[in-house]
Amino acid sequence: MQLTPDATKGALRAALGAMTAALFLATGASAQDTPASSKPADINDDTSTDTSLTRVDSAVLFYQEAGGRVQATEPVVSVTMNDDSGNSINVKLTADTLTGATPNGAAPWTGTQTFITPVKTAGVQTTTTSASGNKVLVTVPGTNIKAAQYTADPNTLPVDHGFRDQRYAVDLNYSVAVDNVSRFTIGGNLSTEHDYSSLSGNFGVSRDLNDRNTTISAAVSVEMDTSKPYFGTPEPMTAMSGATKGGNRTKTVVDAVFGVSQVVNRYWLAQLDYNIDQVSGYQTDPYRIISVVSGTTGAPVRYLYESRPTSRLRQSLYFGNKIALGPTVADASMRVYHDSWGINSLTLDVAERVPVTRWMYVEPHLRYYSQTKANFFHDYLVSGQALPAFASSDSRLGKFTATTVGLKVGVHMGPGELYARAESYDQKGTSHPAGAPGALAQENLFSGVKATSVVLGYSFGFW
Amino acid sequence: MPGDMITRLFRLVVAAGVAAALSGCASMGVKPWDRDLLARRSMAPVTHPNLTGFEQHIYFSKEGSSGGSGSAGGGCGCN
Repeated sequence: MQLTPDATKGALRAALGAMTAALFLATGASAQDTPASSKPADINDDTSTDTSLTRVDSAVLFYQEAGGRVQATEPVVSVTMNDDSGNSINVKLTADTLTGATPNGAAPWTGTQTFITPVKTAGVQTTTTSASGNKVLVTVPGTNIKAAQYTADPNTLPVDHGFRDQRYAVDLNYSVAVDNVSRFTIGGNLSTEHDYSSLSGNFGVSRDLNDRNTTISAAVSVEMDTSKPYFGTPEPMTAMSGATKGGNRTKTVVDAVFGVSQVVNRYWLAQLDYNIDQVSGYQTDPYRIISVVSGTTGAPVRYLYESRPTSRLRQSLYFGNKIALGPTVADASMRVYHDSWGINSLTLDVAERVPVTRWMYVEPHLRYYSQTKANFFHDYLVSGQALPAFASSDSRLGKFTATTVGLKVGVHMGPGELYARAESYDQKGTSHPAGAPGALAQENLFSGVKATSVVLGYSFGFW
Repeated sequence: MPGDMITRLFRLVVAAGVAAALSGCASMGVKPWDRDLLARRSMAPVTHPNLTGFEQHIYFSKEGSSGGSGSAGGGCGCN
């Protein structure tokens, strides 16, 4: 399964994060150079650095969406080897396992709806929808084409059951201290799943200024993705059918981030990042459809494969702050985002780390997110009207707000830190958009998610 | 929040950020002996890269926006 692959973002963020963190820790080292392996007297006042250490950080994410939708388990192991000159190599391995149901894009209706998809080629080992409990094999009338058919109950969001996929990814980053104030990083990412692969490379530079109170950085990356839908790539805006579709599609992402981090005063570190990227190529979801409904009754007339533009320019500005408030540490950030598809968004995030004992802290977290809809977002299309060039009912491209409430706990244990975080995520959108025809006005057309996640992790350093 | 408001806010923050970067940085900062609090591991921009990676991974697979800061999880297979 795929959608919204974004390896470039990950690679760039990682590169910038590594540079900023390295320089930041360098400032720490100059104040109090304590190796991480010696136990800190207080986990909340730990000023040790990773110089000359190897750090292993392993964690696992358990993610569950309400209503029997996507469920994911994602273990990660990251190993960073540091020398005594400020150079480091990081290798990160990720494995994703996803199961569950995902909305197919059709609008709910008062009656049972029937959907048809191609069947995987005999003998081909894929793990997609074939395991579904509610699918039946049918022969397309008038042909000898075998197809899979499934249904959605009345007044229920149509979902495609039985999605199952596995992803494996490796990230590699090398960070080099050129001199006392300059650094460069080079890295790459390879991610592969049954129907998608992504390959990216990145390069970044940074420099300390102003007596190491200011750090400027820049990073670029290039990502190449290949979409390999299980049954081929459908022609956008054509009718959903059981016939096998076209070949693979590709897209390219070119991304750049420019950042400034600044020590404001003894208690306050601020960071400002500007991010711009251009996505070119296939960005449509090959599995997603959109309902074409009657303009009078609202009843579904047919289902079309969705269509998205092949070009997207994205820009964002991020302003982050770390502030020491007595024994606590506040993390407050804001992001504004704009793209050429017409989506504008605002993100506000705040977390407060509060010491509980000398070996334990808790960190409550709140996040608010709001976005406008893409200019080609439609809950449904109306039969008899001219078809637009682009149309998608994907709720991620619609207007909604989302809130996250979470709590993190960290405990000093053995040679490292055991950490856990539980979060609840809730999207709210327009369930009953104005103008919905006929009985469609009574249906809930918003297909956003409610999810809970739990992360458990352990990080330790050794010589 | 209406889209044009967010667009205006975007432009305002860009302008303010550029102005601050150009004029303000040189006058801010601390001496090396005043970095005791900044040197805490808890004051690092990203204290738990894996947590930040998971977080970014979830958000870019469930929302229409991406970018910002932190370290995301790479190529996505999450929805």
